[in-house]
Amino acid sequence: MSKIAIISQPEKGVLLDVGGCSTLQEALEQLSSTLQSSNQFWKGSTVLLAMGKLDLTAAQAAQILAIAKGVGVFPEAVVAKLANTRAAFAQNNVKVLDKAPMSLPKIKVEIKGDIPFAETEPDDQDLDETKAKTNLDVSILELEHDTIEDAPLPEPKAEQAAHEQKIVLPQVLYLKQHLRSGQTVSHKGDLVIIGDVNPGAEIMAEGDITVWGSLRGIAHAGIGGNTTAEIRALNLQPLQIRIAHAIARAPDRPRFMFAQGTGPEIARMVEGKIRVQKNRVEPARV
Amino acid sequence: MSGRVIVVTSGKGGVGKTTASANIGVALASTGASVALVDMDIGLRNLDILMGLENRVVYNLVDVVEERCKLRQALVKDKKLGNLSLLPAAQTRDKSAVTAEQMKKLCDELKAMYDFVLVDSPAGIEQGFQNACAGAEEAIVITTPEMSAVRDADRIIGLLEARKDEIKEYRLVLNRYRPNMVANNDMMSVDDVLEILSVKLLGVVPEDEEIIISTNKGEPIAGTENVRAGLAYRNIARRIRGEDVAIMDLTPQSQTWLNKIVSFFSPPVRV
Repeated sequence: MSKIAIISQPEKGVLLDVGGCSTLQEALEQLSSTLQSSNQFWKGSTVLLAMGKLDLTAAQAAQILAIAKGVGVFPEAVVAKLANTRAAFAQNNVKVLDKAPMSLPKIKVEIKGDIPFAETEPDDQDLDETKAKTNLDVSILELEHDTIEDAPLPEPKAEQAAHEQKIVLPQVLYLKQHLRSGQTVSHKGDLVIIGDVNPGAEIMAEGDITVWGSLRGIAHAGIGGNTTAEIRALNLQPLQIRIAHAIARAPDRPRFMFAQGTGPEIARMVEGKIRVQKNRVEPARV
Repeated sequence: MSGRVIVVTSGKGGVGKTTASANIGVALASTGASVALVDMDIGLRNLDILMGLENRVVYNLVDVVEERCKLRQALVKDKKLGNLSLLPAAQTRDKSAVTAEQMKKLCDELKAMYDFVLVDSPAGIEQGFQNACAGAEEAIVITTPEMSAVRDADRIIGLLEARKDEIKEYRLVLNRYRPNMVANNDMMSVDDVLEILSVKLLGVVPEDEEIIISTNKGEPIAGTENVRAGLAYRNIARRIRGEDVAIMDLTPQSQTWLNKIVSFFSPPVRV
């Protein structure tokens, strides 16, 4: 588990998992920075806290709850693996669970051979070569070997059926936070990050992913098979992009010239391949 | 086949464990042996970056251990050497994600597939280090000629000796060696380090700016000709394979003709 993992499912709420922290101090810091970064969002949501294997006393549990309370969040329940910690939260009059009701999506990928680069698409309205070029490599490799199967979610059948009926994904997770190496966010819906996603961080969503900042980690949109999902960022320099069943990687160069941005770009699936396109605002028809 | 499982460790951070792992891996693979590099630094994964493979990582060691994928799926093939593969660490987990028993099982599986399994250990002497050693039969201890690094290497060697039932052999690589500073008595010499650690020397790698360039490129220096640090790593690989290769002459390079004559008559600095 990362220092903090944010797992969100519209029908169940948002789980903030600090199980990756090895000390109380670390957990307190991670929790407070996440909650404070977008406190308006958290106030309206059903929030669950997960403590992993942290061993806490009643007083320490109260400290955790105080941080949440400070930003107006009253957790629905607290998940803890150790009986000690569960008792500690129970003493603070919070519902406790021994198992989290949701977990990060498990993804199966079968890859034979090298992972292809993302294609760059020349602007059809502007075929000027220099303009169509982005920093993503244009080499094309066949994608036919790549298949992703979603491992069954906790309640597979009911959830999959519900998902098939709901083609329009209802909820947006809106996070105002920099995501650093090792941090993970997953959401059963559209995901909006206001901030950067650094290399080593992973974001996953069943719907679209929008990063108002630089996307340099791994982004997976359309988990579960939504091939119309898109990934957009003000600066699109991801290590890998995954959309539904497809996967593409960044070129091997440039590796560290992070300061040179790409400008706003969108990645989407076109004919089974991931393509990257400059963002283009349609001119208003007057 | 049963390959050799070698853990690369140091105690202290920043002395070049990961750089050494990548380079020894590349150098061993260049000799024709099949090599698996295992990044055990769970949570602070770096080896994939040095190898220039970070954009190809899909699964990792923890996925294998937790049976979310097959071992074969998690192994990332090197860009250039077909007989070199990387098993990346997980970045979103921590050291407690695997146990020593799981590591041992994993190493056993890998050594059936490869001639060499190089395990890049995390810094420290805690569970991460213990896990990295779990499946190993040999160890390479990396240190730099600095008091703090040598002290930590000494501690590590003590811990390796305590595991002498599993770890049959351990050898030292002295990294970031600066012959000019040694010549001016500003840095511990190879002999000074060996005096304290009383351990077999596997190699001496000179400090080289090219290392930084190669790290940023994602192409380990051992694959580059005409670089002294690269040659040092290739020599280390040959010694691991049992060849008798002399430690290269690391006398200061910038010499005037006068110095050359003087040094011709004085005994060379043995390194």
